[in-house]
Parts: sequence; structure tokens; C-alpha cells
Amino acid sequence: MGVLEKLRLTGKVAIMTGAGRGLGRAMALALADAGAEVVAAARTQAQIEETATLVRARGRRCLAIATDVTDSAAVNMMVQATIAEFGRIDILVNNAGGATSGWNKPLEAITDEQWRVGIDVNLTGAFYCCRAVLPHMLRQGGGKIINITSGLGVRAMRHNYMYTTAKAGLINFTRALALNYAEKNVQANLILPGIFPHDDPALLQFWQGGKFIPVGRPGKDEELGPLCVFLASDLSSYINGAVISLEGGGLAGGQVPTGFAPVVPLTEGEE
Amino acid sequence: MELEAFSLREKVALVVGVANPVGRATALALAEAGAQVAVATTLPTQREQAAAHACAQDIRALQRQGFAHTLDTTSAEAVEALIQRTVTTLGPLEILVNAQDLPFAKPLSDTSPAEWKRVLEVHLTGVYLTCRAASTPMLTRGKGRIINVVSLLGERGMAHGSAYCAAQAGVLNLTRALALEWARAGITVNAIGAGWTEGMGFLENDSLRQQLVRYLPSKRLAQPREIGDLVVYLAADASAFLTGQVLWVDGGVLSRL
Repeated sequence: MGVLEKLRLTGKVAIMTGAGRGLGRAMALALADAGAEVVAAARTQAQIEETATLVRARGRRCLAIATDVTDSAAVNMMVQATIAEFGRIDILVNNAGGATSGWNKPLEAITDEQWRVGIDVNLTGAFYCCRAVLPHMLRQGGGKIINITSGLGVRAMRHNYMYTTAKAGLINFTRALALNYAEKNVQANLILPGIFPHDDPALLQFWQGGKFIPVGRPGKDEELGPLCVFLASDLSSYINGAVISLEGGGLAGGQVPTGFAPVVPLTEGEE
Repeated sequence: MELEAFSLREKVALVVGVANPVGRATALALAEAGAQVAVATTLPTQREQAAAHACAQDIRALQRQGFAHTLDTTSAEAVEALIQRTVTTLGPLEILVNAQDLPFAKPLSDTSPAEWKRVLEVHLTGVYLTCRAASTPMLTRGKGRIINVVSLLGERGMAHGSAYCAAQAGVLNLTRALALEWARAGITVNAIGAGWTEGMGFLENDSLRQQLVRYLPSKRLAQPREIGDLVVYLAADASAFLTGQVLWVDGGVLSRL
């Protein structure tokens, strides 16, 4: 079987949290294009219904289950419903999350509630989903977990505490999963997306069109799809505990405003 | 997304270092995905040349064009000549894979300046020279993919590995710097960090190998093809926004304490 055929996810079942819009929807559709049946989970029923319609238009089955990932009972019910419908779970993408709770505030201005709500949705939700899904993957003899982190999971920014902490926590949570379940043929990896404004003019303006990104542009939602498919496929069977950054080069050097260094010739020995 | 985004049909690739299993598996994965592939070995020994020819034959058996070449990676002229040959024979070069590997381990006090220089030359200077030469056709077309394959020892140290570790770490930061330099020119530059892989020079010792496998979270070594398959993604149009990164294919070993 050739390398491209091995990317096919035919017969596999994928759960996508945060599937109602943006990157979650783009990844759900990419998995469907590659052949997977999809469970679209998010809080807003109308949005996941829209994702489900798009998945079904691709000839795949889709279950849209309104789920708050910070509610472990709701997560368990979503996983049970998946098993009832499809009988298996091969791929879990923990994409639900958000940076807004306590965003851009000095530390002393962040409330208990803002901190707790943010950590719950970005970190605890992934724990609930993994805990509910893992027994099924172990029973089936393996599976793929893909967690979505952020540049803020590896670097910090001014007046940002909750999100940077939660996303860093998600990285090491994923490494712990990788380490402990590698023998059972479960691979747990992270995708680190850079700046993706989802065609939102306000976001595009906030990031100044992406001019500080080395490649000179922000990401397009659909660019996340192929990486998600790769990490969900059999081709990534030895990739485990890895952070794969899709961000146009920003992390390689940091977002410094200088761009190219001035040319400095070697002058040793000269006056 | 269609799987078509991963297709390398009508693209031209050059893989340097096909006498080792990872380079060879990479060349075949690229050919399977549709690329025309030139392959080079870096030592003028009979064994290496035979390996390159066998690899080129396997590429042609997949109905792709390809040829084998023996390269002195330390000679700028020789590297330029290979890039020229690739462009003339197969077409505009879009994908460069550096997989050259010269296993070497010694206590530093016993490492001679000549050995140090040779290890740095093959691993680090060789990558500089191939990147520089390959950038000409890539910059002309505004499109290129460079993938440097290194080992875990680019990130972690190992006793008796000083020269090798230093050279591999050098390749990783060369990768990041070049990624930034060519980011707006349509060339992505990434590295794959290969974990402990079947066929590696370091693993010929059986008891070392068994000890190592027990330590690996995956409880098995990587198959060379598991690195080659990731090269296909990094070589494809699908990865245009991914640059300056090191992607580890290590079975989880970097995750553990």
C-alpha cells in the first residue's frame, strides 16, 4: 500500500471538541475528507449542527452532541453516545478552549472565577475527554489523541497568565499520556497552531495582517487539516509526545521586529 | 482537504545519504508519493555506491525517474554539480532531504582534531553546502522544501557523543535560521529528529540495543519508513505554513524524564 493510501481514515471514528467553528470545524472536515466518521462536540448546538451538515455532505456520518467539556458527566455521556452510535473511537482531538477568561489583565486583577473557568476549559476538559475515551482505545488495541496547544504553551506574553499556564499544562499532560500508553499503541501528540484569524477582519487587523510572522501571512484554517489527518493516520505510528507547530516560523526566532540581521562581514585581523 | 494535498506528483527531490536506512526509506516514500528522486551517498565506497544504485533502481521500479550519485558533501563544487545534474536530468529541484549520517563515538580526550573536523564537515558543513546550492533553483521558482534529518542526539547529550551531538545540534539551529531567512521566499526549512531507529550504526551492539528498547516508551525501535513518511508531509504543498520546526519521531522517548 502506498504512502498516500495509508493516510486514509476509512472506518475510523473521530471525536472533535470545539467542532462548531474555526480550527475545530476545519479539522473535522479534513478528517471526514480523509474518510473518518465524526462526532462534533461543542457547547452550541446550532454551530455543531452546521459542522455536521458539512461532514454529511462529504458522505460521512456525523453525530452532533452539545457538550460542555468542563462537565465530566456531560463528557462521559458524549463518549457513551459515540460508542452507542459507532461502536468505537479511534481519534480524539481536544480542540475546545479559549483565551478570553482573564485575558490582558495584570495578575492582581484576575478573579478566582476567571482563572478557574479558563483552566477548566483549556486543561481539565482535555483530561475529562481523555479519561473517558482511553478505555475504549485500549480495548480496541490503540488510538490517536491530538491536543491543540498554542504558542502561549511554550512562550509567555504580556498580561497573560491563565491561557499560557493551561496550554503549557496541556503539553506536559500530553507527554505523560504518550509515555504511559505508548506500549498500548496509543499515540498522543500536540498541534501548536500559530495565528489563524479565521477570515475575521478585526482579528486580521489586530495581528496587522501577519506582517510579524516570518512567512508574512497568518494561517488559513484549512491548512491545519492535513497535519491533523497525518497525526490521526497510521503514518504517525512512531510520533508520540511531540509538539508540532504550524505557525509560519514565528517560534524559530521569536517575533522580533528586526527581520533580517544587517550584514556583518568577518573583519578579524583588519584595522 | 483532499489527500491530493500530500501528492508530490511532478515534483523533483534530492535525497542525500541513502546508504543509511532512513535516507533510503525516505527516497522511496517520496517516490511513492509521486516525486522524481535523485539519490546520493556521501562516501565513495563500493558498499555505499551499490546502495545508491539499488535505491535508484527501486525508484525507477515505482515508475519514477531517478538516478544515483556519489557526492563529496565537503566540496562546494561537487555539491553544485549534483544540483545542476538534478535540475538538468529531472527538472527544477523543489525538495531537498539531508539524511547523511556518519556514526562516531569516542571520549573527547581521544577525539583527534581530524576526527572532530570530519564529523562536523559531513553533518553540518554538508548541510550548509547542499542548502546553499539547492536554494538557487528554489529561490528562482519561489518554492522549496528543505528537510534535515537529525537524531535525538541533536537535543540530548550522550557520553562519548560530543562531536556527533555538537554537529547535530548545529543542524537544528541552522534549520531555524534558514527558515527565517527564506520564509518569504516560499522555501520552508524543517528538521525531523529521528528516535532510535532500526539499522542505526549505534545499535549494532545487541546488549546496548536490548537495554535501549526497554527504556523506550514504545518498547520498540522506529522503522526507517516511519521517518520517511513524515518527510512526505513536509515535502508536500500541505505544509506551506510549517517552517523552522523540529518534528520528533521518537516513540515518546523525549517525553520521559
